[in-house]
Amino acid sequence: MGRPLIHRSPMPGLGLSMGITLTMLSLVVLLPIGALLWRGASFGPGNIWEVVNRPRVWAALFLSFRLSLLAALFNLVFGVLLAWVLVRYRFPGRRLLDAAVDLPFALPTAVAGIALTALYAPNGFFGAPLAALGIKIAYTQWGILIALIFVGLPFVTRTVQPVIGEIDREVEEASATLGARRLYTLRRVIAPMLAPAALTGFALALARAVGEYGSVIFIAGNIPLVTEIAPLLIVIQLEEFNYDAATAIGIAMLLISFAMLMAINLIQVWSRRRIGHV
Amino acid sequence: MHIQIDEISKAFGMTAALHPVSLSIPCGALVALLGPSGSGKTTLLRILGGLEFPTSGRVLFDGQDATGMTVQERRAGFVFQSYALFRHMTVFDNIAYGLKARPRAQRPTKAEIARRVTKLLDLIQLPHIAGRYPSQLSGGQRQRVALARALAIEPRMLLLDEPFGALDAKVRKELRQGLREIHDETGLTTVFVTHDQDEAMELADLVVVMSMGCIEQIGKPKDIRGQPATPFVREFIGA
Amino acid sequence: MSDATLPLPAVVRPCRRFRAPTDEAPAARRLLIALAVVGIAVLVLAPLIVVFAEALADGVAASLASLTNRDAHSAIRLTLTVAAITVPLNAGFGIAAAWFITKFDFRGKSFLITLIDLPFSVSPVVAGLCIVLTFGANSAIGGWLVAHGFPVVFALPGIILATLFVTFPFVARELVPLMVEQGRAEEEAALTLGASGWRVFRTVTLPNIRWALLYGVLLCNARAMGEFGAVAVVSGKIRGQTATMPITIEMLYNEYLSVAAFSLAALLTLLALVTLLIKTALDIRHADALAATPAH
Repeated sequence: MGRPLIHRSPMPGLGLSMGITLTMLSLVVLLPIGALLWRGASFGPGNIWEVVNRPRVWAALFLSFRLSLLAALFNLVFGVLLAWVLVRYRFPGRRLLDAAVDLPFALPTAVAGIALTALYAPNGFFGAPLAALGIKIAYTQWGILIALIFVGLPFVTRTVQPVIGEIDREVEEASATLGARRLYTLRRVIAPMLAPAALTGFALALARAVGEYGSVIFIAGNIPLVTEIAPLLIVIQLEEFNYDAATAIGIAMLLISFAMLMAINLIQVWSRRRIGHV
Repeated sequence: MHIQIDEISKAFGMTAALHPVSLSIPCGALVALLGPSGSGKTTLLRILGGLEFPTSGRVLFDGQDATGMTVQERRAGFVFQSYALFRHMTVFDNIAYGLKARPRAQRPTKAEIARRVTKLLDLIQLPHIAGRYPSQLSGGQRQRVALARALAIEPRMLLLDEPFGALDAKVRKELRQGLREIHDETGLTTVFVTHDQDEAMELADLVVVMSMGCIEQIGKPKDIRGQPATPFVREFIGA
Repeated sequence: MSDATLPLPAVVRPCRRFRAPTDEAPAARRLLIALAVVGIAVLVLAPLIVVFAEALADGVAASLASLTNRDAHSAIRLTLTVAAITVPLNAGFGIAAAWFITKFDFRGKSFLITLIDLPFSVSPVVAGLCIVLTFGANSAIGGWLVAHGFPVVFALPGIILATLFVTFPFVARELVPLMVEQGRAEEEAALTLGASGWRVFRTVTLPNIRWALLYGVLLCNARAMGEFGAVAVVSGKIRGQTATMPITIEMLYNEYLSVAAFSLAALLTLLALVTLLIKTALDIRHADALAATPAH
């Protein structure tokens, strides 16, 4: 190991900043996650598998992941569209639209949950006309999907916006002088440039949706095997003081999160190599 | 192709970038638009390429009014100052881009595209870089790839915006010669923009000196050197 | 050019067909704007309006009355207390972590950044579960703490720990990219001029990062006051004691006290709107003093 662990530096405050950082990180994040893993280890992989391998748990994990994927896909398309409109076009109310994109970040999830439920319930503003058409949103998987779209909405837009802002106009002009129509330019030149950022935003939205609880439980209806999401199962187990089962499901969800975190990092490495960074 | 610029003017909002200018570029000529920054030379080039629309006046290609023609229809090989290569495509795909973008009926076959790209890579004397990405090329190589990409669409004219601006002195000299050779080989009417009088004088058949959105003088290099028409030209040429 | 036979100069002939090659057709542009506006109106603005509509369903008086009972007061007080403790702690951590990461070179830096970002990809419910397993009465640490009269879970410390966990990366994520962009030159210059470490931070670094810091603190505060999942797990939901505003909203809603639930929700929504207002003002006024890469 030729490289020292910490390079000597004239900057002051090494001890203090490192101390605060590592202490807080250990106490607030690492110790609790360690406790979860420790509990899981002492419960045993066999037992964890037994808990996860129940139809009700499988159904919940699968439901959470499937609907999160759909919501993230919607947000991928709509988020890129929104980013394009916000960066490229000038129209009255653009600032307002831009600010509104962040609302799902700022609005507490419980508030979003009851608001969406009120909106899409059979007697709600959107729910009533839809109910008249025989479409039920609240207390079905559609309701969960809408809540997950809501919480994941800003991610893609916010990661893609700066990339669109940095596109060199000459590249688009070059494509046009070579005879390409606008749609061809968007597909072959613009889309590949936006892809890495859009995928990062997609993965972030997906990760957020898989773990989402507050905005979903109100609108979900929470019927086992049908509209019961994985985080709710943990809450139910905890309310019954069944810590081992809660731990097992928690670890399964943690693994999904780690896998997605890894995917985000891989996307970034891949894009850096492909676009030739700098 | 014979290019005629007839009383073209361009205003961006309240500021005039070009006062009405007229210019006739004979078929097969190699013309330099020479002037300091802000003289309107790039605006004029962009109007020729269809990237800007003139506020007034007409552009004629071989006597036909081409003012309203879209960029795509013009088939002008355009080399940008930043080269504007597609970063996510290999050199091969960059050069093949214009051919692949054609509507299906006019698109050459895959083999034909490959043949043409290879030929162009030979022309710019970089036969071995087809598989590389623009980020892996030197400045001079990028410039030549941009030129090959513009030539691939079988352009009717070649327009270059400060083609040597971003290069160091030695590479600049080499590429100047390269452009002359390509021009002579293809016989394309070629217009390039530069602020470097040596470049204009050495390379062009015809030099158009511009200042403040007006044409100061049009002439052969030796005429401009020998008989500057205005005090501006005299000072700019440093004669 | 003085030839009198030259044709009259062409007058301005607007060409309806021309558009810049980097623009979409006007119809496509209008369609895209319409999609964006309708999408945001339906997905984001409609829920926002519903909160206020439901809160005021029985009139302003009923709404205000529902906010003046004891449970509502204690919920508001608890939420403010939690935010008042967690946000400064988080800001302190964020500054220290950003300083450590950007002013020193050490091995494992990117791993450290990944660890700091970790709470963003962990479900809030799992975060709450982790706190319960660490500090719950039947864990080693928790048992000892309870025996010494300091319960964590189902009490204020647990709520604070859970909130710290979910808001952990907020401030650091705003500061790190900005401080990387700004480099170390200014601090080094101050040091060569004889300034002490603390003085360098206060007079050189802090003024450069203050808007980004405010930005991070704002987002952190919004999340701290609004956190639901993690707090729901650790708080025990004891009315008047460990029920924060979001928890109280849930309890009221489940008791079909719609006006009361939405009135409390409207308070939190107002907070969210104020947060967005300040954030937008920062985006416009101090765009250059914020990091180019977005948070979250």
